[in-house]
Amino acid sequence: MPVLMRQELSAFVSWSPLILLTRSEFAITSGCVIPHEVLRARIINELTQRQLSSGGWGTNALSKQVALEPSCLAALAVTPWSDAAYGAHEFLLCSQNPNGSWPAFVGDDRDGSWLTSLASIALRDCVPNIPVRLRGLHWLLNSAGKESNWLWKWKFRTTDRHVRFDPDKYGWPWFPDTISWVVPTSFAILALNQIPCTCGDFGHAANRVNLGIEMLIDRGCPGGGWNAGNGVVYGAPLAPHVDDTAVALLALSERKEHLVAQSGVLWLERTVQGLRSPWSLAWAVLALAAHGRPIESRLTCLMSLPDLSAIEDTSTLAAVSLALGCHDTLSAFGEAT
Amino acid sequence: MSITRRHLLVGSAGVAAGASVSVPLLLPKYHFDRRPKRSRVAILNVDQYSPKLEGILEAALQLFKINVVGKSVVLKPNLVDYFPGDAINTHRMLVFAAVECFRGLGAQSVLVAEGPGHQRDTQLVLFQSGYQECLQRKQIRFVDLNRDELVRTRLRASYSGMKHLWLPRTILESDLVVSMPKIKSHHWSGVTLSMKNMFGVVPGMRYGWPKNILHWVGIQESILDICATVPLHFVIADGVVAMEGNGPLNGTARKMGKLVLSNDPVSADATCARLMGLEPNRVPHIREASRFLGNSSTALIDQAGEAPTPPRTPFQVVPDWQYLHHSL
Repeated sequence: MPVLMRQELSAFVSWSPLILLTRSEFAITSGCVIPHEVLRARIINELTQRQLSSGGWGTNALSKQVALEPSCLAALAVTPWSDAAYGAHEFLLCSQNPNGSWPAFVGDDRDGSWLTSLASIALRDCVPNIPVRLRGLHWLLNSAGKESNWLWKWKFRTTDRHVRFDPDKYGWPWFPDTISWVVPTSFAILALNQIPCTCGDFGHAANRVNLGIEMLIDRGCPGGGWNAGNGVVYGAPLAPHVDDTAVALLALSERKEHLVAQSGVLWLERTVQGLRSPWSLAWAVLALAAHGRPIESRLTCLMSLPDLSAIEDTSTLAAVSLALGCHDTLSAFGEAT
Repeated sequence: MSITRRHLLVGSAGVAAGASVSVPLLLPKYHFDRRPKRSRVAILNVDQYSPKLEGILEAALQLFKINVVGKSVVLKPNLVDYFPGDAINTHRMLVFAAVECFRGLGAQSVLVAEGPGHQRDTQLVLFQSGYQECLQRKQIRFVDLNRDELVRTRLRASYSGMKHLWLPRTILESDLVVSMPKIKSHHWSGVTLSMKNMFGVVPGMRYGWPKNILHWVGIQESILDICATVPLHFVIADGVVAMEGNGPLNGTARKMGKLVLSNDPVSADATCARLMGLEPNRVPHIREASRFLGNSSTALIDQAGEAPTPPRTPFQVVPDWQYLHHSL
C-alpha cells in the first residue's frame, strides 16, 4: 500500500481540523497514519477502477464475470451521483430478470435469487428506478422459504426434526425451492421496510416482514448470535458467525429491546475483539452502530488491518467502505441513525 | 371371461402409465463406466502433524507414479469452519506438505481451493485455521470456490434430478484435482470423505450457504452427480486426527493415526470407511459409486502400506446411521 500522499493529506487538512479527529478516524499502514476519509476515498477509487464496462463488478479484481453481490455492495459504496454510481444503476436496471427478480451473476438462470433484496436497496433514491424496484419488491413478496408450504411444514413437524426450528415462522431462501435462511431473510426485511406505501399488492408486506422477524428470532443460536440458520442440529448447538449475526441485527434494529437481539449484540461485541477479517469486522461495525453501540474501537481495528484498499475480494472491499461510511450506509439500509 | 375392446384399451393405458413411471426408475442413472480394472490405495501410519509429513507424502506419492509435470494441480481440502481444538478441517500442515510435493514433482502450478459450506467469510476461516499465514509465506494461491467464475455444466449422472450445475472454472479447467478430505462421520450422509468433500466445489454465490439445494434433491444423489461430473483424480485423506459422532461440525476428535492415498475416490472412501469400522457398501453413495465411478471391493484394490484393519472400537455415528457398523 502506498503511503499517504502529501496532496491527500493537505486536501484533508484543509477541510477537517486534525485536532478534532479521534483514533478511529485514522488508519495505520506501514507506519503511516491515514485519516479515515482518505482511506475511504482510496477504497472508493479502487472500486471505481475495478468497475467493468457493463457498470457491474466481478467477485474479485481480475474476474470478468459480473456478479450481483459485489455489484450491489459497490453500488452502495461508491460516491452517490458519480459516474460509477450511474453506471452501477444502469447495470442493475439492465440485469433484472423478466419476472422482476435479479440473478446471482450475469448469465445465470433466470429464476431469481436473494440478491433481489440487495439490488432493490442499491437502486433507492432515484426516481426513474422506482418501477424497476417495485417489480423487484413484488417478486420478493411472492418469494418464500419452502417451509411456508403446508406439506413441508408437516414434514418438518413430524418426520424431519433433526434441525430445531419452527416452520410456521418462515422468511426468504437464498434461491427458490429451498428453505429460509438468516442472511436472505435479513436483507429481504431491510428491502421491504423501504416500500413507500402499503397499497395494492404491497398490503401484506408488513405481515411478511413481521413473519421474517419472528423467523430470525426463532433461528438464533442458544448462546446468542446467528449462523446461517441452524441454531441446533441433532440436539447440539451450533456456533454463531459474526457476519450472519451482524446482518440479522441490522434487520432487527427496530427490535433493539428484544432479548434475542440483545444477546446477539452482546455476543457480537465479545466476539469482534481481536477479529482480523475485514468482511466480518465491517458488518459488525454496521450492526453495532445500528444498535447504538460504540464503534470507535472496532473502526480503529478495521482500519489497522493491512492493505485494505488492495483487498482482492470486491464484496469485502465494498463492505469495508460501507463500514467507514457507516452513517450513510445505515441510511441506505433504512436504519434510523 | 371375455376381454372386450374397452378392457383392452383400459389395460393398455394402465400398462403405459405404469411403464412411464417405473421405466425411469429402472434405467441406470449413470451414463458411463469409469471404473479402472484395478485401483491402488496406500494407508500410512502417521502419529502427528509435523514437518515430517512432506517426506512421508513424497515417498507415498512414488507408489502411484503420478505424472504432474507441466500440469495445473488443485488441492481441495475440507475447510468448513473453525473452532479451537476441533478436528473439523483438513490440517494445514498436510495441505502444505502436499503443495511442496506436487511442486517437487514438476507441476506447473499448485493452488488450494475450497468453498466453505457454512461460513460466508472464507478469509476468516483461512485466518483462524492458520491457512492464511502459510499461504502467504509459501506464496500459494488460494481460490474461494464460492466466488469463482462459473460455468454452466451438464451433469453426467442423473441421481438428483438436476440437469446442470454452475461450477467453478478453476476446478473444471485444472489438469489434476486432488480431494483432501478430513475423515469424519456426518449426520446427514453417514460419512464425509473424498466424494462428499466435493460438495465444496458447488458455489455458494449461486446456491447459498449452506448449499441447501443439494440437501433437497438428496445428499447421496448429489454426491454421485457431482463426482460423476467433476474430475477427481487423486485423494489424500487426513485421518491423523479424525472426527466421530455428530460430524461434520459437532463431532468428537478421534486420534486415528492414518493417511489414506488413492488414485480412485471410491476405493479411498471404501478404505476409509473400513478404517472407521463401518461397512462401506452400507453407505449409499459409496455403494452406488462402485457401480460406475470406482472400485470398493478389496479384491479390486492393490493395497500398499498398512492393511485396512478395522479399529477395535468403531467410529460413533448418529442414531440414523448405526446400521453402518459391521456388527448390525
